[in-house]
Amino acid sequence: MNKSMLKAAIGLIVLAGLLVIPRFVESPYALHMMILLFLSVSQGQSWNILGGYAGQYSVGHAAYFGVGAYTTMMLMYSKQVAPWVGVWAGVAAVIVVALVIGSICFRLRGPYFVLASIAVAEIMRLSAINLTTLTNGAEGILVTEIPAFKIGGRVVTDFLTKVPFYYIGLFLALLTLAIAYWVQHSKLGYYFQAIREDQDAAHSLGIHISVYKNIGLVISAVLTSLAGSFYGIYVGFVDPPTVLGLDVSVQIMLICIIGGMGTIWGPVLGSLLLVPLSEALRSNMITEGLVKIGLVSADSKVGLFLKENLAHAHVLLYGILVVLVILFMPDGLMGFVKKLASRRKREAA
Amino acid sequence: MPILEIKNVSKFFGGLAANSDVSFSMEQGMIMGLIGPNGAGKTTLFNCITGYYPPSKGEVIFNGRRMNGLQPDKVCKLGMVRTWQKVRPLAKLSVVDNVMVGALVRTISLKTARDMAMEQLKVVRMEHRADFLAGGLPIGERKKLEVARALATQPKLLLLDEVMGGLNPAESEEIIQLILDIKAQGLTQMVIEHDMKAIMRISDRIVVLTSGEKLTEGTPQEVVSNQDVIDAYLGESHA
Repeated sequence: MNKSMLKAAIGLIVLAGLLVIPRFVESPYALHMMILLFLSVSQGQSWNILGGYAGQYSVGHAAYFGVGAYTTMMLMYSKQVAPWVGVWAGVAAVIVVALVIGSICFRLRGPYFVLASIAVAEIMRLSAINLTTLTNGAEGILVTEIPAFKIGGRVVTDFLTKVPFYYIGLFLALLTLAIAYWVQHSKLGYYFQAIREDQDAAHSLGIHISVYKNIGLVISAVLTSLAGSFYGIYVGFVDPPTVLGLDVSVQIMLICIIGGMGTIWGPVLGSLLLVPLSEALRSNMITEGLVKIGLVSADSKVGLFLKENLAHAHVLLYGILVVLVILFMPDGLMGFVKKLASRRKREAA
Repeated sequence: MPILEIKNVSKFFGGLAANSDVSFSMEQGMIMGLIGPNGAGKTTLFNCITGYYPPSKGEVIFNGRRMNGLQPDKVCKLGMVRTWQKVRPLAKLSVVDNVMVGALVRTISLKTARDMAMEQLKVVRMEHRADFLAGGLPIGERKKLEVARALATQPKLLLLDEVMGGLNPAESEEIIQLILDIKAQGLTQMVIEHDMKAIMRISDRIVVLTSGEKLTEGTPQEVVSNQDVIDAYLGESHA
């Protein structure tokens, strides 16, 4: 059996496993974790297409995430539009936003583009706060009832459990992976990478820079918007800080940067590290773990201090981790894995 | 009909004239050498020809078409491609992928592009380097990669900006052979070079620039015996 067959076999086994998990796992919390993982993969991968392949570091992807989420939720809230219709309205809105942003911001290079992308997301956030008639302002939009999804009168799902969300999330993650794979193995991917490596050289080789940057942005924004809509529907609530905040943009980037930019599996690795980590930090699992293995006792001063503070410090720990990864794995987890693999190969040879 | 006509091209940066009133034309299949002291405006002229700068005055006519105001990507599609004095490899891509980026301007198929790229790597004798990362190549091979990548766009006119700069004599000799091979294929070339011996050997005609202006133009023999050129290069006191 050759290497690519082995890879395909592993892929199929993992996929089959993911497809049957909800049949065997009933814990809503476990399914919730998986859904967060899928969401994270699709966010990171969406960013990867523009940031990782084309090298345009957008720190404003919350704009697309939020516009997608808000459009779907607003339509469901005020016009009772079913989310699987509203999602496409979100996509249409995001395409318009992306093209406007792209045509303006892509005149800028490097750090100036970064600043412009942040500004755009902030404009979106402030608009969501202030356009109260549309968005409910800072209160946000709460939609608890999702209409049942029917095909030809037959109810496919009524969205009462986490299982349908699990499958939608899985589909979304696979879709973004497939699109990233397609991009990497097409002319588009070569052109994106050429622009990333050297914009002037790319230009001299016949690449229309702004056209290709905008194509990258639109693909990336549309996928991010789908993730945003999915998030809105799943959580049932959106407000400006949770879907349009700067930390949303940063989170989306980090998944990809920590996992490895410009690689197919980078965002997957990044999600596998960050989602459980952030969940563990947030829910005080680390303190509990330390207590369980007997390193600190629950009612000692240290134990109480950790219990009190560690959950609040999850952003801090997260930040420290990011710094460590960037220092020691400049090409992300994926780059680190590749380096290890090539070292082993050399030692074997 | 000349393949390229430069008509009274001037380029001003603020008050500074980097090129002023430069005119010459090139015939199909020839090699035009472009020489001049540092700061004479050779690279600026390349930038004006290939769309990186719009000329402030004058016209660039390629194959009968006015090129002023066209962007570099369009210029490349029309068949004019340049290499860079300071090489610009796509560092994180492999050598063959670098050349494929050039080839992809003529095709959408990666397979076709790969075949075209391998063909050009053979021309520059780098097929054994195909899977190396471009960023890890030594300077001599980076220069050849520039040429291969430019050739992969299937140009009608190739503009080489100091492809021998920083090379040792053996590597320079290899580039000279390469340029002559490319000429034998019928491709027209414009070559900026500091190495006078090399430029004398390869050029059919030479244009000399000083302080942005065309000093003279002629065959290599005419140019070396021209008193103005000797003055410009060696200083008037020498004469």
